[in-house]
Amino acid sequence: MTATSPGLDQAGPEQGWFARQHIGLHTALIVLMVIWAIPTFGLFVNSFRPATEAFGTGWWSALFPPYNFTFENYAHVLGQSNIGTNFLNSLFISIPATVIPIFVAAFAAYAFSWMEFPGRNILFVVVVGLLVVPLQATLIPVLSLFASWGIAGTFLAVWLAHTAYGLPFAIYLLRNFMGSLPREVFESAAIDGASSVTSFFRLALPMSVPAIAALAIFQFLFVWNDLLVALIYISIVNPDNLPLTVSIAGLVTSQGAGTEFLGAAAFISMALPLIVFFGLQRFFVRGIVGGSVKG
Amino acid sequence: MARRFRWFLPLVVIALVMAACGTSTPSGADPKTVTVIGTWTDAEQDAFLAMVKPWETDTGNKVKYQGTRSINDILAAGIPTGVLPDLAGLPGPGQMAEYAKAGALQPLDEVLDIGTYTDETSPALVDLGKSDGKTYGIFIKAALKGLIYYNTASHDYSASPPATWDELISQGQANMGDADSLWCVGIESGDASGWPATDWIENILLRQSGPEVYNDWWAGKVKWTDPKIKAAFDLYMDVVKNTYGGGTNAVATKFELAGDPLFKSPPGCEFFEQANFMSGLGKFADLKAGTDFNAFPFPAINPDYTKAVEGAGDLFGMFHATDAAKSLMKYLVTAKAQDIWVKAGGALSANKNATSYPDDFSKNAGAAVANAEQFVFDASDLMPSAMNAAFWSHLVSLTSGSETVDEALKALQTVADDAYKPAA
Repeated sequence: MTATSPGLDQAGPEQGWFARQHIGLHTALIVLMVIWAIPTFGLFVNSFRPATEAFGTGWWSALFPPYNFTFENYAHVLGQSNIGTNFLNSLFISIPATVIPIFVAAFAAYAFSWMEFPGRNILFVVVVGLLVVPLQATLIPVLSLFASWGIAGTFLAVWLAHTAYGLPFAIYLLRNFMGSLPREVFESAAIDGASSVTSFFRLALPMSVPAIAALAIFQFLFVWNDLLVALIYISIVNPDNLPLTVSIAGLVTSQGAGTEFLGAAAFISMALPLIVFFGLQRFFVRGIVGGSVKG
Repeated sequence: MARRFRWFLPLVVIALVMAACGTSTPSGADPKTVTVIGTWTDAEQDAFLAMVKPWETDTGNKVKYQGTRSINDILAAGIPTGVLPDLAGLPGPGQMAEYAKAGALQPLDEVLDIGTYTDETSPALVDLGKSDGKTYGIFIKAALKGLIYYNTASHDYSASPPATWDELISQGQANMGDADSLWCVGIESGDASGWPATDWIENILLRQSGPEVYNDWWAGKVKWTDPKIKAAFDLYMDVVKNTYGGGTNAVATKFELAGDPLFKSPPGCEFFEQANFMSGLGKFADLKAGTDFNAFPFPAINPDYTKAVEGAGDLFGMFHATDAAKSLMKYLVTAKAQDIWVKAGGALSANKNATSYPDDFSKNAGAAVANAEQFVFDASDLMPSAMNAAFWSHLVSLTSGSETVDEALKALQTVADDAYKPAA
């Protein structure tokens, strides 16, 4: 149960046999992956092409001579006056708006799975039922609420909004994961005198790391890519707090010109989520629950 | 194990502290700051900020500007909640009247120097900014639709531009040389694809059937299936038939690059219809207006209707009557401010006395708007938004050939039956 425990990723001499057995599966996976990646690759190639070419011919024609690539699209995007501030704002918005809902959801999920209290199931159904409420339907009432509290235009407003929008799914996902943890672990902990708080911090939370990591990626991407929530709750009162998505949307002018910059902007905006994804990837691979009862 | 997760706790604490700091910052209550939301971003935003700069220097006030194309969404959420910027661009005259009725927009009659404003500004645009006899909106920027662009190297029409549609076709065909086709059309524009084709229909209808039919049409009083509307669509389809690359190419070509084949060798086409702001887009941006390319106004079709021109504009209104906001509003319509705006290029002014255009091309277009005897506003912008969206998308299917004119008109009328119902 330690961080460096030898896990399934060290398969040893059996690996070659394993790979041969699954050669068909692997080919299928690779083909699917390539098909899936083609649009992104095309966008990537186009982001380096001048506008007249990008709109005139398909991206694949750039792969053959004569080559005509340019960094101008990237230069234009990075040359926007507010882009630095907006990038920082995006971080300011995304990090708390990821951490807060995950924390709240983890507490709630633990309570829903392992604590007995009246109305537990009904409450859980209500929370999960909130998944179907469309975000757009809440914009006007929530904005009035923020206005009367005097927090419209602040980071706090978007944190609260994203927390609320993210919670139903977060609770649902974590509750399913925590509920599937072995009951014996919690029973033996209770026999040894552990309180619910101890069980949560020392058992449930560490064992749920793969689920939390997956959730963190979902929530982070949702917040990072969000334009609407920020636009409604921030832009009217305090445009200084707007995130990166707003600068990207602003690249296209009111007459619809400037779409050639969007590819470059997309890759600039994608860089950080990719880092987050690869940073958290190792949490997916590791199976933490395996053998935990014996330990 | 738990040790590894203790860092979560301080993070939450930091988050909460930051939240507390967030609340304590004042939100736009500064009387010297004017919050403005407009649709101009990028270069247009720079031009707007340059325009307000002298006002900031003179008054010591500050403009906090946010440019976004999602202005409709912001106002839709802002009007019922009362969370509104001081000044904002308005989607169109229809919404302006609605917001005025809701009491959100402030009347401008006492804010502006109304006498000078009325004298200097194109009367049609002054009228469009009124609701129930009071001025609520000003046109801060105007555009002239329906210019026919041509490459002067192919043939220079500036000495005797074709006055009628038949002349245009016959002269065009006579001077075609080795050009591939008569017209260039490109109507792709992301989620607004099809709008350049709506300009085509509007300009044709205006010259075929006159401004009255035109105004009744966008107001929902003339049916889409009316023979007059069908005639406009039919003429547009004739244009599509003689288009560089055909209709399928037109729907796949970005509107801002659609005129580029004019300058190919041999030319892809002879004529290209677009608004005045085209001179700053695509290949036109690198070439010299008036020398390398030029444009003539959309020719007359029915000799009874030769005076009306079609244009569009960015309407601006005031939601909070603070002293700073009033002073900015007053400044924006003056010739001094408008001069800075038009000097940046691409924009036309509704103000007759703003004449510092960068070239004769824009100057003529500006004069055409400011002095127009009859000025009609872009019809698709005035339609209910569901109607507008259907108009766009049916013109895409029509142009690509996946729909016939009759099918499209029937479908549009079905949308209209619903879209013009009074709001519940």
